[in-house]
Formats: sequence, structure tokens, C-alpha cells
Amino acid sequence: MAITTHELTRRFGTLTAVDRLDLHLPSGGVIGLVGPNGSGKSTLIRMLLGLVRPTSGTGTVLGEELTDPRRYAGRVGALIEAPAFVPALSARANLASLAALRGLPRARVDEVLDAVGLSGRGDEPVRRFSLGMKQRLGIAAALLPDPDLLLLDEPTNGLDPAGIVEIRSLLQRLGADGRTVVVSSHLLSEIEAACTHVVVIRFGVLVFSGPVEDLLERAETVIEADPEEDADRGRLAELLRADGWQVEMDPAGRVPLRITAHGDRAAQMNRAAAAAGITLRALSVRRDSLEDVFLQMTGGDDGELARARGAAALDHPASAGSAADATTGARR
Amino acid sequence: MIGVVRSELLRLRRLDVLLGWFGLMVTFTVLVNFVMFQVVDPSGTAPADGPGVSFPDAATLAGGEGLAAGLGAAATFLGVVTLSFWALAAATDHSTGLVRITVAAEPRRWRLLLGKWLALASVTVLTTTAVTVLNAVVAPVAAEAGGFTPDAWTSAPATVLATAWVDLFLSLLVWGSIGLALATVTRSAGVAIGAGVGYVLLVEAVIAAVASDVADWLPGSILTAIAQGGAGPVSYAEACVTGGAYVAVALTAAFVVFRRRDITD
Repeated sequence: MAITTHELTRRFGTLTAVDRLDLHLPSGGVIGLVGPNGSGKSTLIRMLLGLVRPTSGTGTVLGEELTDPRRYAGRVGALIEAPAFVPALSARANLASLAALRGLPRARVDEVLDAVGLSGRGDEPVRRFSLGMKQRLGIAAALLPDPDLLLLDEPTNGLDPAGIVEIRSLLQRLGADGRTVVVSSHLLSEIEAACTHVVVIRFGVLVFSGPVEDLLERAETVIEADPEEDADRGRLAELLRADGWQVEMDPAGRVPLRITAHGDRAAQMNRAAAAAGITLRALSVRRDSLEDVFLQMTGGDDGELARARGAAALDHPASAGSAADATTGARR
Repeated sequence: MIGVVRSELLRLRRLDVLLGWFGLMVTFTVLVNFVMFQVVDPSGTAPADGPGVSFPDAATLAGGEGLAAGLGAAATFLGVVTLSFWALAAATDHSTGLVRITVAAEPRRWRLLLGKWLALASVTVLTTTAVTVLNAVVAPVAAEAGGFTPDAWTSAPATVLATAWVDLFLSLLVWGSIGLALATVTRSAGVAIGAGVGYVLLVEAVIAAVASDVADWLPGSILTAIAQGGAGPVSYAEACVTGGAYVAVALTAAFVVFRRRDITD
């Protein structure tokens, strides 16, 4: 196992950022760490790196105790939140400084600059770099120790689409080489495309941990049907409901009917509509994306706002209750 | 440890920082030399000390040690500059978030702190050398402009300058260590510099006014005593021991805070 935790907990005053987290992350591959804002992802990464001490619980990183990070620090590379460099120094000088700190040869700097596509820009001061270039440089810094474990917080932040694809393929190559790459991201399409394993946390609590396929098995298949005549929309919904189908209809009629059913039943549904004299202008089968599954699992809330509401509820139960009702109503 | 020091030195190789640091040290050395030889009457006594400055009397300036007297007189200014740049170097790690990377790479935080101290001490060797050499060039010109004829300066100038170099360096090490400690604790260069300079120029002056018997042992007075090779009732040896104690307290406080703190920058 690359990372294990047992009842790992971190509290900041009254806030429990990570709550009795039990993780067993396998070695090798790309692992996605997802959760709403304020879900505890960054605190977890900081605890794994020895930057923040756990309040309670235990864990191991690359087989070594979490409480003794010097035993594994040389085998771990990390990009934590925004890339951090001395703006006045060149990319090469910044990396040389980090290489010296780790006791690595200077030649390693050019190798990692090349790996992230910055070899031609190494002598420019970092203050001239775009956010995307700084992000690449942050990944280069994480790659310096040729790590067995990479912990990357939002690695594609600020990259253009071509850059995202490039970094994704770099991470996949690293994962395929036997390294463990843990990627925290809000881009669930990225997690779906790049990761072999996914961890979902919310309010510091583990919601899911397992292969991406296992998570996607929770995805529902939806048939979307759009009658040719708008007037038939309600009639079709009534007809299908009477036959026992689960149908969602937008009252404004702007989107097709959503029928929750296995895709194989689309033809049966089409025949039922035709038998009732309803012609469909469009009929499609769609599987929920990882994003849909994630939103179902996490409640679709902004984590930090939800936490703030929770705190407000403790202080002012009446007003916080109405705020929560308003949010629920809006979602409805 | 060599790697940690090299890493710090590479980060200190910034033109803006080095120009600012050396530039201010040079400016104060030249300025204080000319002011000192102008305000001290060649046939009279030393003027009263001001906040952060202490001028020797005419006899001292005309004697063999007069060649390096400017360094002693400028010691507080040079100390404030040193405190500021040590504080800046320490606080920048927090303001840029670099401390996340360095602590993740080297979890033994005492090594990071000691490495930074050694790197900054290395640069301080260079700044001390630069101002000592500059002082040797500027002092005769300033003396002549002030009406002094320092014939005694030619007797053993190398010994005088070497002793002044050691005194100034030790004094600047204490100043710098206090700056490093303040910046590590507060994680802010501005707060650290404000607290350090404000203490020496204001707080210590107030304490001296109400409790003159302890004033000679406060950090600002001790640092001046080290830089001047002993001053007033405090001998050079006593000043060095007390200065060493201040360094030990400052670095211990910085280490304890840095070791226990969660890195959330």
C-alpha cells in the first residue's frame, strides 16, 4: 500500500477538517482525491507530508509511519495548493535551490524542466511566468526527487486544454511506471480520464474509495426523449408514468424528458410513444458522468458554504435553518 | 546540512536583495564616518549619544583605534539593516508559501532553521568585510574633512581593522539572529522589522530613561558594546557572553515555534 490511514483526524478548534479517515491506497497508478471545497483534501495532503500533525489516528506513507516523515520525504514529491517559488529567481535557480536542499545533482533540474516542457524557459524569472507555466514548474519541483509517491494538489489548474492533456499523459506515464500519483482535483472529467482509483471525501469523512469503475457502476443510465410536438410532452410523461417508468419533466419544457431506466429499454419506450401517436424528434441514452455521481454522493453543495451554514446553525439555529431551506428550495 | 546551506544561498542570490543589503550598509558606513568626524570637536569631548548612535571622543578618534571608530558608531544602523534582511529572508519563505516545499523536502525543521542561519551568516561575513574595507578607505578622508590629523592610525592598521571586523561581525550576528527569530515567529518581515527597530529606538530608550542601571544590559546597548569592543560599565567579554545568551534565547524560541507549528501558509 502506498498510503494507509486509520481513524486519521485533524481538528482546528471546533472544526474537524479530517474526521476518522480510513484509507488504503494501493501502490502504482493514478489516484484521484476529490471532494467539495473545504472537504479536507488539502489538510489530508499536508498531514501526509508532515506539514500538519494529526490530532489523532495513525497512518503510513510508503510503508513508513506518518509520524516520522523524514523516513519517506526523499521518496515523495508534492505540489501543495499554488506553486511556491521565489519570483525574482529563474525557474532553473529555483529548482537548483530545491535540488540542493534534497542533495540531488544539478543535472536533475534540466531533466525535470524537460519533462514538463519548460526546458526553453528555464532561465526566465518566475515572476514572468503565466499561471500555467508556474503550475508546470510546480510539477517539475515535485518530480525532482524522482519520487515513488507524487502528491499533486490541482496540478492542471491554470493550464490550457493542450497543457491539461499533456500533463495528464505525463501523470499516466508516471503511474504506469509503478509510481503512485495522488491527484486532488475539482475537474472530475480529469479524474475520470486520468485516474485508476478514486477517493471521495466530504466534510473530512470518507465517502468512497475504490477503482473508478466501481464508482461509475453507481452511475444511473438515463433515456432522454424529446417529443416533436411540445404539447405531447406532458402526455408522454403521463403515459410513461402510468406504465411504471420513472420520469422527470422540466415544467418549462426547455429540456427533454429524463427517464431513469437501462439503455436497452429505449426501443420499448419509443414503441410506447409511437403507439400513443407521439413522434419523438430525439431519443438518446446517457450514462451519468463521474460528476453526476459525485454530486449525488456529496449532496451538490459547496463544501465551505455548507460548513459555514452548519456553523451558523449552531450559533443561530432559526436563521441558519431558513438559509438551508432556501438553498434546498432553489435546488428543487 | 551543506545541501540546506547551499539551497539557502542559491535563494539569496537575488540582485535586488543583495544590492539593497550591501547598498544600505555602504551608505550608513560612509554617512556615519563623515557625520562623526564633523560633529566631534577635535579639541573637545564627545557629543551626547542619540537614539541608535554613539560617538567616541576626540582622543579616541585621533588614537590608533580611530581608524575603525566609524564602524562602532554605525553599528546600530548596520545592525538594523542586518536584522531587516535576515527577517526578510526568513519571512519570504512564508509569504511565498515556499516553506511548504522546504519542510516537505526536509522534515527536520531544525536543519532548515540552522541552514538558513548559516547561509545568512555567510552573507553577513561578506557585508562585514565590505564595510570594513570601505571604512578603511573613507575614514582618512572623513577625518581630514573634519579637521583631524590621525598620525597614530598608521601604527597597526591591520590589527585595528581585524579587531573591528570581528566586533562588528559578532554584533551583526546577534542583530541578524534576532531578526530571523522575530520573522520566524511572526511569519512577517514587516512585523519583525517594525518590532526590532521599534524596540531598539523606542522601547529601549524608554527603559533606559526609567531604569538606567539595567539599560546597559539590554540588547541594543549590548550590541553597541560588542561592536565597540566594550562600552561603559560592560566589558567586551561580558557583552559577548550576554549577546550570545540573546542569540540562544532568540534561536531557541524560533526553533520551538517553527518545530511545533502547522505549516498552513
